[in-house]
Amino acid sequence: MRTARRWLPAAPLLLYLAVFFAYPSASVVVLALTDSLGAGFPSFESFRALADDALFWRALCLNVVLPILSVVLELAAGLALALLLAARFPGRQLIRAIVVLPFALPEIVFLIIMRFVFAPRGYANAALALAGIEPVDWLAPAQWLTLAVVICVDAWRVTPVVFLLLLAALSAIPEEVNQAARLDGGGAWARLRWITLPLLRPALIAAVLLRGLDALRMFATPLVLAGVEGAPVLSTYAFHQWSDYGNDAVAAAAAAVLAGLCVLLSLPLLRLSMLSVQPGSSAERQPR
Amino acid sequence: MMRNVSIAVLMLSSLIACGRSDDTLTVALALLPSELPVYRAVVADFERAHGLRVVVVPQQYADIRRALAAEARSGRAGTLDLIELDVYSLALAGRDARVLDEAMPELSTMQPDAVAAGRIDGLRFLPHRVTWQALIYNHAVLGQPPATWDELLAVARAHPHRIGLKGSRYEGLTCDVLPFVWAAGGSGDAFDDEGARAAFRFFAQLAPYLHPHSATFKEATIAEAMARGELVLHLNWPFAMSLYASQGLAPDTIRSAPLPRGPNTTATVLGGGYLAVPNSAPHPEQAIRLARFLIAPAAQQRLARELGWFSARADVAAGDDNELLRGFAALRARVRPRPERADYRRLSELWQRAFRRVVFEGADPDAVLNETARAWAERSV
Repeated sequence: MRTARRWLPAAPLLLYLAVFFAYPSASVVVLALTDSLGAGFPSFESFRALADDALFWRALCLNVVLPILSVVLELAAGLALALLLAARFPGRQLIRAIVVLPFALPEIVFLIIMRFVFAPRGYANAALALAGIEPVDWLAPAQWLTLAVVICVDAWRVTPVVFLLLLAALSAIPEEVNQAARLDGGGAWARLRWITLPLLRPALIAAVLLRGLDALRMFATPLVLAGVEGAPVLSTYAFHQWSDYGNDAVAAAAAAVLAGLCVLLSLPLLRLSMLSVQPGSSAERQPR
Repeated sequence: MMRNVSIAVLMLSSLIACGRSDDTLTVALALLPSELPVYRAVVADFERAHGLRVVVVPQQYADIRRALAAEARSGRAGTLDLIELDVYSLALAGRDARVLDEAMPELSTMQPDAVAAGRIDGLRFLPHRVTWQALIYNHAVLGQPPATWDELLAVARAHPHRIGLKGSRYEGLTCDVLPFVWAAGGSGDAFDDEGARAAFRFFAQLAPYLHPHSATFKEATIAEAMARGELVLHLNWPFAMSLYASQGLAPDTIRSAPLPRGPNTTATVLGGGYLAVPNSAPHPEQAIRLARFLIAPAAQQRLARELGWFSARADVAAGDDNELLRGFAALRARVRPRPERADYRRLSELWQRAFRRVVFEGADPDAVLNETARAWAERSV
């Protein structure tokens, strides 16, 4: 009775998890293990179909490569922008607003604008033509350039999240610390290397965790810009099987693989974030 | 106490009021929002004549297919009285649809091929609307459309990267592949017959001249590319001509024409929607009555006139007097249904993969077809 009473406050959360997480997840696994044309349940036919499909292996590979490169780019750009816009100068509020603008736009609106920019007769090629340069096929299927465009567009849209996180962390660093370093003769690079970056570590880890998990589920950017075959990832592959082939079981199998991949790759990130808040870590040493 | 009883009575009456009525038919059709008002007006004639209410639910074909399968699996009386399915999923859905009366008077005036596509162990599907692909070409650039495969290859060489095929992995690619296989005498469900080999050798010849985005083109994206002037020709459905007309590009610049003739013949793929009464339909008799009304001349003529649909009925004109659709009308006698088999999805997927390997990966056509034929035989066994 006492145990039941202790669990009671958690009941709504457990019910929520059971209805909206456990049941749908179990249904996806059952669907993935069902062969609608032949053996019924259980069957590994859907996973065999995945293994036979070269597009699936490309999607699996790119589902690791694209998020990593995108997050690295977002961190670099977000940090640079945060350092730049943390300084006081006239008009910085306006520039901050402009930097955040891509994230404020609805995703599909932003991506359609990007399609116009990178279309064969789009704005990017028009700009090249003005400079007397031959047009470039930015989104030709299965080219490295297409992948680079997808990564850059994805990073462009979500860098504001990283920028805002790091800007908030930067503004929490007391000015006295930098002043003391300056008095000791520390140059700009030394202050960044030995003071700013170590104090930003928890915010950087939070940004990697937040964006890393989100980037693993990348969907709209590769689909809208390059189509299923142009820059496949597991979510667009699952959508392709469901929508183009009506192949629900194979789509569920691809979704299950994506879920497994997300869990597998997020474990080191979660461990990193745990370590960063343990006693004695840099987060604990951060001035309050 | 009285208050509780009143609440219970109120709830029960609400439930009854919300429940399904015996004089209401629920119909799921693949309609565009713009088509719905016209369709409701057509159905209103049936409602007046039979004293029934018809609820038209616009859905996508894939969702209707899933709803049918779910209702069939549940084993209980369903909610859908009449549904529309896309022609290539009929074989898969056959076991969930009722066998209809073969002696329907409407069938005698319909295209035999279109009716035959609806027979899956008996007549289960009625052709609601039919459609097919034609060649869409830039008249301002080409003057005359290519009439044979040789002429098509000559156009490709003269305009490199400006001809397109829908090479994305989806059913639309099969609809581009099969007309070539049939035109060369192939059956469409054998990968190693002479027709398939001739068609794939031809694809290999065309490959270097295809638009570089062909590997990701679908109906809408290839139509957009043509509108932007990136293509001089491609294969597409009638909607593309309406699109170009709305953009002021057709019929002066862009026109439709029959598909080029292959070594044996000219052929195009039958598409469109078929009506079916689910096994689980709550009002099957009334649903059959509605289906017969919808394929009768009056309704079909109105749908053709007001929505531009093609009818399977020989007595309903198929755009013969419409300059935009002249190329489509000329192909009417050349329309063929896709192979009707429960494992069609797998067959179609293999055609797509074989095409993509030959055209986008430069693989040898004969080797790819031999390999595909072996894979097909193994899975069929």
